Amino acid sequence: MSFLVLENVTKRFGGLVAVDAVNMRVEHGEMLAIVGPNGAGKTTLFNLINGVFLADEGRILFDGVDITRYPAYKRAHLGIGRTFQIPRPFASATVRENIAIGGMFGADGNEIDVDHAMGMADHYIDLLGLTPHRDKPAGRLTPVEKKMVEIARALAMKPRLLLMDEAMAGMNPKDIDGMVDLIKQIRETEGIAIIAMVEHIMRAVVSLAERVLVMHQGAKLVDEPTHRALTDPKVVEVYLGEAGEARHA
Amino acid sequence: MGAARKYAPLLPVLGLYAALFAIGLLVPGKWQLIAQLVFYCALGQAFNLFMGMTGYVDFGYVAFMGVGAYGMAVTVSSLSDKGLGLWLIPLGLVHAAIFSILLSLAVGAVALRLRGAYFAIATIGVNEGFRFLIEGARLWNGSAGIIFSRNMKEAFGREGAIEISTFWADVLVFAVAVLAAVMTMVYLCSKVGYALTALREDEDAAKVMGINVTRYKIVAFITSAVLAGLLGACAWALKLTYVYPADVFEIHYTVEAIIIVLLGGAGTLLGPIVGGLIYAASKYYLAVTVPGLQLLIFAPIILTIIVLFPEGTVGMVKRRCRSTVLERFIH
Amino acid sequence: MFLEQLSGNLFQGLILGAVYGMATMGLSLIFGVLRVVNVGHGAFMMVGAYCSLWAFHGLGVAPILALPLAMLVGMGLGLIFYYTVIRRLIKAPELATLLATFAFGVILEETIKLIATSESRGFNWDIGKIDFGFTILPYTKLIAFAGSVLIALLLYWWFNKTRAGMAMRCVVEDDQGARVCGINVEWEYALSFSLGLGLTVASGVLLTMFIPVGIQPYMGGGYTLKAFVIAVLGGLTSPYGAFFGGLVFGLLENGSYSLFAQIPGLEPFAMTRFFSFVMLLVILLFRPTGLLRAR
Repeated sequence: MSFLVLENVTKRFGGLVAVDAVNMRVEHGEMLAIVGPNGAGKTTLFNLINGVFLADEGRILFDGVDITRYPAYKRAHLGIGRTFQIPRPFASATVRENIAIGGMFGADGNEIDVDHAMGMADHYIDLLGLTPHRDKPAGRLTPVEKKMVEIARALAMKPRLLLMDEAMAGMNPKDIDGMVDLIKQIRETEGIAIIAMVEHIMRAVVSLAERVLVMHQGAKLVDEPTHRALTDPKVVEVYLGEAGEARHA
Repeated sequence: MGAARKYAPLLPVLGLYAALFAIGLLVPGKWQLIAQLVFYCALGQAFNLFMGMTGYVDFGYVAFMGVGAYGMAVTVSSLSDKGLGLWLIPLGLVHAAIFSILLSLAVGAVALRLRGAYFAIATIGVNEGFRFLIEGARLWNGSAGIIFSRNMKEAFGREGAIEISTFWADVLVFAVAVLAAVMTMVYLCSKVGYALTALREDEDAAKVMGINVTRYKIVAFITSAVLAGLLGACAWALKLTYVYPADVFEIHYTVEAIIIVLLGGAGTLLGPIVGGLIYAASKYYLAVTVPGLQLLIFAPIILTIIVLFPEGTVGMVKRRCRSTVLERFIH
Repeated sequence: MFLEQLSGNLFQGLILGAVYGMATMGLSLIFGVLRVVNVGHGAFMMVGAYCSLWAFHGLGVAPILALPLAMLVGMGLGLIFYYTVIRRLIKAPELATLLATFAFGVILEETIKLIATSESRGFNWDIGKIDFGFTILPYTKLIAFAGSVLIALLLYWWFNKTRAGMAMRCVVEDDQGARVCGINVEWEYALSFSLGLGLTVASGVLLTMFIPVGIQPYMGGGYTLKAFVIAVLGGLTSPYGAFFGGLVFGLLENGSYSLFAQIPGLEPFAMTRFFSFVMLLVILLFRPTGLLRAR
């Protein structure tokens, strides 16, 4: 049984079909990348898995449970974590408090009290190199630091599936490499079953993902192991246009 | 971190209330003034528990004070002849709490599903709506209200009734203020406080973090409502010995509560207390110097605070004291 | 007998509803463009009522002539309030603008109280009535009705046929997109806010055509609640929705009054006001986007 299953999931906004009958599966421990041009529906797809939006049609199954109509917080309790493309830390709370909140209400939340959550927060602060900022209000950090807080907060939730939305957007190449190493480390040490990424940045995709799902205009275009997906002529055409296809061939 | 350290910020608050109580008792003629000060502190704290901590404005807040006052009034007026003596008072308080809980559940069930502006709109009519229900359906004597001074004398004796309405009612207001402070601290230090902070900052992100925002909103809403109800029962019903729907659903108390929380700093422990003191003192001073103009002076002050000092007095002080010892006591 | 009384009441309700609807158009406009809820709505209507009063007693003219003055007063207030306060609160949480508009209302109420005292005033402008058979309508109310409809039509023309109006509609739909099209969104915000308040104050004049008594600084409160019910009925962002919502509300209000009057032991006036509150909650619960919107 696959860990995450989407069956014919569709989402419309008025007349616009943002996600069009998408079928996909993600297995335990897999690292999958979702790529596609802007407006392809990647973030909407994340929002559907996460519970920020409810699907108009189709089913979503997580570890065998039908979560199609579950509200976001319930999905978080089941173990779905998420980071946002533009980080959304709780600005007036300190870095430590932000991360602790993830722990307090996440997958194991019921057994975790405030003090324990603060301890967990300290662990992630170390892991992600946030120690100098521990007691600063999260609103005062640089965008890259905020991203780290986002990730730490999501990790503190002890997710079994982590959705990372454009984790490397706006970073320079050195930071991107650092992030790639971090993600690899997280996957090993934290024992998180899966990380699904949504990335424009191909070098990250290639280093990390075992499988790539390419979206275009809301629908799934291609769903294959990384190298095959990125050289698939359909994908090249979507990104580079037909001239690109000719040049590539 | 031990419980002692966590709850340290409560100490100055309790100390302050104790000091005020002492001043009121010992300095002749100042009891009523002190009682007024503490009333506003209690009002601010109770209101802060919801508005300050969730960021939602309940424009119908005074309705909870109103039904609390009715709870007490109905209890005393209908049971004064049962020979229950002083037990009537706690019974009245319990009824006040129950009335508030019922109203808050009814309003909350609808309003709390709504966001921001829609919530405010839904609550705007609450006090009007409830007041007109009482007047329209002639509940509890409709617009004639309940006058129960006679019942007070019947239940507590003439001397007792006077003592209760001139002194003990105010002592109970002190008790409500202390209760509000304790509840605020309990929430701030527990998961509830963090959940409320999260949902106030970014409700959607909070949901994604696993916070059941509706549940926490309801918790804050009901707590705030019950405190308001108890306040209304003591400071209005018990003190004045009468209740008129036109009085107890008067929107300007909600205005005052908003001013107090903004002045002092929303979402903090000390904020509403500081705000309450400043407001009560200013109101008294203005009433003496320029009677009738208080609101006209306060309204632009609210505007100034909203635009220039959104964190209020305590918020600003907190920021300045960030890495000092004082920080431990200012919450 | 009851039926005749009921139909008379409903007719009156429709006439009054047009005035209510027009009064709410400003509220919906401000919310639609700026996402600001004008909690001080009633206070602005009150200002209009005083304009009307002043025209009659002070200048000795027909109160309806106060309409353009009221409009200008409202727009002036709007520009002042926008540039001093609202502009700085665009990025602030909703709480801030709610409280700000609330404070505006308080300032208006207290200022008028200072100038005119809290004594309840009125006037009597009697220019005859018209008999429809089942009900009698004073000409003043007819003028109020006509005025409301006229203003609603003018607004329709403005939004659909003029560049300025269409620019405003663009901002409602998508303010980023409007910026990209070269629309000065800042100015549109200011204009919408002042236009919205202008309409609100003007509606106060029309209201006094209908109810020329009870004019005092705190008269606005009840109308704020009614305006919200109407705005929610009509979809909160659409001025036309507000107008039709007003008609529906007028019918419901008068209809329920007749009904409540039939039930012994109830005070129909108070019950009707309770009923409008229940209506508000019911609509917010089931159809917050308004009854009259297709979506």
